[in-house]
Amino acid sequence: MTTTFERLCAILVKDHKLPLERLSLYAPLDSLGIDSLGTVELLWTVEDVFHLKLPSTPVELATLGDVVRYIDELVAGQGAALTPTLPAAPSLRTT
Amino acid sequence: MRRVAVSGIGVVSPLGNSVAEVLARARAGRSGVRRLDTPFASRLVAPIAATAQLDEAPSIDAGKARMLDRFSQFALFASQQAVHSSSGALAGIDPARAGVFVGTGMGGTHTMDAGYQTLYGEDSDRIKPFTILMGMHNAAAAWIGIEHGLRGPNMTYSTACSSSAVAIGEAWLRVAYGQLELALAGGSEAPLSPGSLKAWEALHTVATMDTDEPSASCRPFSMNRSGMVLGEGAAMLVLEPWDRALARGAPILGEILGYGQSNDASHITRPSVDGQAAAIRAALLSAGIDAVQVEAINAHGTGTQANDRTEAAAIRAVFGARAAHIPISATKAIHGHLLGAAGALECVLSLLAMQAELALPTMHLQQPDPDCDLDSVANRAREGVAAQVTVSNSFAFGGTNAVLVLRRASA
Repeated sequence: MTTTFERLCAILVKDHKLPLERLSLYAPLDSLGIDSLGTVELLWTVEDVFHLKLPSTPVELATLGDVVRYIDELVAGQGAALTPTLPAAPSLRTT
Repeated sequence: MRRVAVSGIGVVSPLGNSVAEVLARARAGRSGVRRLDTPFASRLVAPIAATAQLDEAPSIDAGKARMLDRFSQFALFASQQAVHSSSGALAGIDPARAGVFVGTGMGGTHTMDAGYQTLYGEDSDRIKPFTILMGMHNAAAAWIGIEHGLRGPNMTYSTACSSSAVAIGEAWLRVAYGQLELALAGGSEAPLSPGSLKAWEALHTVATMDTDEPSASCRPFSMNRSGMVLGEGAAMLVLEPWDRALARGAPILGEILGYGQSNDASHITRPSVDGQAAAIRAALLSAGIDAVQVEAINAHGTGTQANDRTEAAAIRAVFGARAAHIPISATKAIHGHLLGAAGALECVLSLLAMQAELALPTMHLQQPDPDCDLDSVANRAREGVAAQVTVSNSFAFGGTNAVLVLRRASA
């Protein structure tokens, strides 16, 4: 079974262009270049991939481990589908 | 006032993504207009456009690129080229005295179009979080400022088709009057999204497609012209005081000599002879030269009936009998109408043509229009034209006319 962390890593590698070897549960988001704006984008994709509806209340997420816990709590609370979907492809380059 | 040198140039365009490519293709009259093969092309009456071949700029970090609309990517890549070609224009500069001046007519239209597709086409509320940041008109200028650490004025001009001529002119003023020691100035446009193409189509200003030769669909100054062809791309210039460029041994590519502006104040689209002539005269006045010193013109030359006839009359009004003997190049025939980036690309082409001592051809001029009885350098480049001063015209919906006066580097 693919873990939440592995699915999160897939997003970060694909959309945020981060190398897999830099990703760990203890990695601070800041150290990965994910600032508040990047977190907004990440959580937007998380909604898609994990079939979640994120609450509008602000949440403090300092590390990837925090993000994983946040997702897991929401999945448990919302009973979201456990079937992973691929992260949405960036669509910056239509021609 | 100080003399202002152009000491760096960068381009992304339907004629290529380097100065050398752009000059070679313009000289040969090779059109960048092509038949579109995108999925929505079937919904266009005339599925043609002048496309730039740049989907991923290798010099832009992938993490950053995903935050850039196509127009910002073009602008950033062109600015990198311009700075690179300037042989160190940024070295030792006070960043507070270095500014960015970008013209764009439509901004991040791909991004906004995609957002509307999500909202209306897919009936979804999941607009991407970066939509505003990518769609805003000042995104390109902002990213250029971030990229190069320029902390002075960061300005975006949106005056439709004269936007980048205005941007270059306004930057020139700041450098010439001593407010800035350096400016990155130019324009960028990426208007080939489905919504934008359809909106332009609805206005009935775009050319019908030449079914035999789609690349020849834009025909400025020709009797059988039928309109403009949309194009995409960017052009950015490094402007700095002439003496600074000389002192650091920079490759000086030309000089911005003057800039004039006028507003037609008459009609939202219909061009005005008086308005255009006023802008040309204002530019000559600011350059401190007489009309007889102008030896070449890059026309606005969109290929619409109204523009070309009006522009020819404006040129005659300013230059009198000499108008028929000044080589006039309407290069939109091959690079299309880059809207807010058009003035910058045509400024670059004018500088390159003077450097190469040639008059660029006005291609697809199949039936000379007696109402446009100018020396339009029809269909073939004219070599050995040693023009020292070129005027570059940019006129716009909204009536904002902007004209640049350019001088050859060796003058």
